Amino acid sequence: MTQIESPKVVKKKLFSPIWLLPIVALALGAWLGIKSIKESGIEIQIHFPSATGIDVGKTLVKYQGLTVGKVKDIGIDEDLKGVNVKVMMDYRAKPFLNKETLFWLVTPKASITGVEGLDALFSGNYIAIQPGKGNTTAFFEAERQPPPMQVGSEGVMIELTSDKLGSLDVGSPIFFRQIPVGSVVSYRLDGNQRVIISAFIQEQYARLVKKNSHFWNVSGVKIDASLTGVKVSSESLASILAGGVSFSSDDNADIAKNGDVFSLYDSETTALGGIEINLTMADANGVDKGTRIVYRGINIGSILSKQLTANGVMAVAKFEPQYASLLTNDGVFWLEGADISLSGIKNPERLLTGSVINFLPGINTKTAMPSSFALQSKAPDLLQSKKRLLTLTSAENMGISAGAEVRFKQIPIGSVLAVKLTKDLSAVEYQLELQPEFASLIRSDSYFVPESALTVNASLDGVSVKARDFTTLTQGAVSLVQGHSDTPLAANNALTLFSSVEAATAFYASQQQVHLTLISQDGADVSQGSPIYYKKMQIGTVDSVNWQSKTEDFAIKLAIDKQFQPLLKKPHVFWRNSAVDISASLAGIDVAVAPLQGALKGSISLGLLDSKDKVSNAAHLKLYESKQLALTQAQAIRLTLPVSSKLTAKAAIRYQGHQVGEVSQVKLNDDLNTLTATAYLYGEYAEHFSRSDCEYHLVDAQISLAGIKAPETLLTGPYIGVLPGTSSQKTTHFVVSLAASSYANVAEDALKFTLEDTNLGSMKVGTPIFFRGIKVGQIDGYRLSTQGNSVLMQAHIEPQYSHLVNQSSQFWDASGIKVDVGLFSGAQIEAGSLETLLAGGINVATKDTTQEGNRLATGTVFRLQHKAENEWQEWAPAQ
Amino acid sequence: MVIVSMKQQEIDLGLCLCRVCRQLNTSDRTHCQRCESALQVRDYASLQKSWALLITAAILLIPANLYPITMLTNQGQVRHDTIFSGIVHLVHSDMLPIAIIVFIASILVPWVKIIGLATYLCAISFNLPISKKKLMVGFHVIEWIGRWSMLDLFVISLTVALVNMGQLLDAKPAPAATAFALVILLTQLAAKVLDTRLLWDRLEPQDDTN
Repeated sequence: MTQIESPKVVKKKLFSPIWLLPIVALALGAWLGIKSIKESGIEIQIHFPSATGIDVGKTLVKYQGLTVGKVKDIGIDEDLKGVNVKVMMDYRAKPFLNKETLFWLVTPKASITGVEGLDALFSGNYIAIQPGKGNTTAFFEAERQPPPMQVGSEGVMIELTSDKLGSLDVGSPIFFRQIPVGSVVSYRLDGNQRVIISAFIQEQYARLVKKNSHFWNVSGVKIDASLTGVKVSSESLASILAGGVSFSSDDNADIAKNGDVFSLYDSETTALGGIEINLTMADANGVDKGTRIVYRGINIGSILSKQLTANGVMAVAKFEPQYASLLTNDGVFWLEGADISLSGIKNPERLLTGSVINFLPGINTKTAMPSSFALQSKAPDLLQSKKRLLTLTSAENMGISAGAEVRFKQIPIGSVLAVKLTKDLSAVEYQLELQPEFASLIRSDSYFVPESALTVNASLDGVSVKARDFTTLTQGAVSLVQGHSDTPLAANNALTLFSSVEAATAFYASQQQVHLTLISQDGADVSQGSPIYYKKMQIGTVDSVNWQSKTEDFAIKLAIDKQFQPLLKKPHVFWRNSAVDISASLAGIDVAVAPLQGALKGSISLGLLDSKDKVSNAAHLKLYESKQLALTQAQAIRLTLPVSSKLTAKAAIRYQGHQVGEVSQVKLNDDLNTLTATAYLYGEYAEHFSRSDCEYHLVDAQISLAGIKAPETLLTGPYIGVLPGTSSQKTTHFVVSLAASSYANVAEDALKFTLEDTNLGSMKVGTPIFFRGIKVGQIDGYRLSTQGNSVLMQAHIEPQYSHLVNQSSQFWDASGIKVDVGLFSGAQIEAGSLETLLAGGINVATKDTTQEGNRLATGTVFRLQHKAENEWQEWAPAQ
Repeated sequence: MVIVSMKQQEIDLGLCLCRVCRQLNTSDRTHCQRCESALQVRDYASLQKSWALLITAAILLIPANLYPITMLTNQGQVRHDTIFSGIVHLVHSDMLPIAIIVFIASILVPWVKIIGLATYLCAISFNLPISKKKLMVGFHVIEWIGRWSMLDLFVISLTVALVNMGQLLDAKPAPAATAFALVILLTQLAAKVLDTRLLWDRLEPQDDTN
């Protein structure tokens, strides 16, 4: 049986719990409604000059980035001057809506001082609010500009004074160690002289500003350009554009307070102290504001400013603080730029960066600092030791100027200080100074020569070019040539500057030369400088050639080097060299050429004579024309010739074929009938042939059928033959006969006799005498007899045949052809040799043997037969 | 002629309709033979529930329309849009078809639903002489169309999810969206909870004109 459950009776609910839902919803709605009523905004009205950038329903009112309101409506105001903007402010902004509350429109603004309101770019312009105090109000006037930065109770406001604004602007940052710690708030002009800049330092950095902080302007970019590189420095990008101020902070000083005044410097260096000194100088070339002061290459200061004073320029220089201790009483300053010399360029960067003032600290620290220092123009002389001063004289300035180097073996040992004329304006004087260590080089016979940059030596030895360094070219240089003496130079003596080493050696050599004078008839083709040779080596030169009017000849002064003086002690002669000596004879042509220099300039030669010869007066020697004449000490003679003789100069004077003299000159006399020849006899023959009875005759070529006599005269010209005389008188004037006298060329022991004939026939000088067809002698000469009725012919027989002719000899004419024609004897033709046919001849026959008795005496006269007897030809004595 | 009420007819026949699966069950069963859900002949409490829900939805409709439903940040500018202002914005943006759709889905449909349901409940509660057939048709229409109001919410949620560019372009739902969602939910629940057989029960023979 199933258990019957009693039914569960559920009472019907009257109100199901579902009604909770509407109640909740209702409550929620009510709550929302009340809340919205409670939090409804405050409506305010702001008057803007223009509604540009303001949108209804969109433009918000923001405070510090927080939206506190929204523009609800814009309407134009009654005067049509602006717009009324109705803004619904947040209900929480109620306490800020006071009389002094400021509203302004924030639009994106970009300027040099910065970019503002960038958020407005995205969100649109907004109205900013700066709450103020006062009564609550609902009507406001908008500001045109954002109000200046509010200075809270934090931070420090200070004032900077400067004479220029220096590219600062409102908003320019203030840096401390390149961190922006504040900014410039405003600036104003104070009077006419100063600008006062107000700056605000943020609170957390306010303690950095001390009472003794220095402020300086770091606007822009600082460019340090030097040859080591270009350095660009700036504080920050903002400072480049907007300017900036930096300051220093000293740890130990007190913190500055609001309103403290500081001075704004132009740069860090001027701000940060150091010592200021004055430098005086004659002119400020090369010195500028900013010129560095350098010690050992490190910048220790710079020039701040320069100004003109009564007698120069005064510059204010500032030493950096850490180097301020270097400044002493005897410090030296000098200006130095780039040093460009041809030996190199020192400090070339100064060409670009400008000159630099070098500083050398002194050691004197006790004396007080002078108020000003003088700026030197060149470095002080660090070696205080004394330099050797020297004076040089010279005839004229060789192109040396002050500052030229003095060298010894091309090493600089000193310099030329000054060049000026001597007091009497006659010579040039040089002041030299030498380094002390080289002072010992100067000797009493030292001299100086100028160096030329380029020396070209062209001589017969060749061309040499010598070049020195460029300093020589620009400044000149003087070289010291030591002399050989050992004595040092006395204190006040001056040395000489020669124009060249050659001039110097010539000068000194000339002091050591022997001088002598030669007399010459003519200028002898020599001039000053012509060499003098001894055995073709030059031993001296000709000093001068002068005409002496009194004696009408030339005086040639010679200068012979001293070392050759011993030559002059021996007997010697001088002769002049001709350039080319050509002696042409039938034996050949001899060409002798003098040494080339002598050939060009003319030269004189010295020769030594044999020791036994006498030497004429040493002081006035004669200049001979040629070597032969000189060496033989020829003596001059004068010869008079008939005008028809064809004698020329250089003709020889011969005796028996040997040359004993020479004709030097042939001249036509005034009477046009005679020639005068000056000739020289060689010294050793002069005695023999200057006797008064010497015979001079002209020897000329004789060409006849009989033969040619003296044929070489065809080439060389006629010469003079001489026969010595025996008298003891000497004379120098001879008359030359055209023909030789008889027996001129006859040997001494030839047999001489005379032949007589009525007619000369074909006899002439040289006609041979034949004995049995052999020529044994000849006719030497002929003349008319004194009575004039016969012809006397001198003949001689050669010595070796002289025994053939004696008093029994007969002579007959054998010339030509004898033709005997008779009617019946027939024709008889008789002729001798061809020679007799052409030249004529004399035959001789001797009857008897020559004995003592019939020996011929000199001067025996024989009759010359015309025809030979038959029997004569059969004589044949044994001789 | 005796006109018997529907309820009576059901009881007489001994049948009970399962509300869940529409299975006709015998009335002696406590649970449906198909879906095992509890069987009830009539649910009188559903009327109250339905009323409550409807009233809540009506209340919530006010903030749904007054409060902004989206917060759009366009290049920094924040813009609150109510449903209506959003439609107006769409119209002004030359997107008329979308505006019409949003209007229908977000304004028309909820209002129509609430008014329609109110009418239905009134007809049940106060025996109003309105044609049951028409009411029933209306009820079915309401019930079917109600879900489509969620369209707007889907739009908003998709917009919020996709438009996400920070300050440049950003969309966020605003309080009205919650309210609106609740409105739609509650009207749906109200329609669901109501036992529509109650309408037929109020029929009196003399009033039955159809």
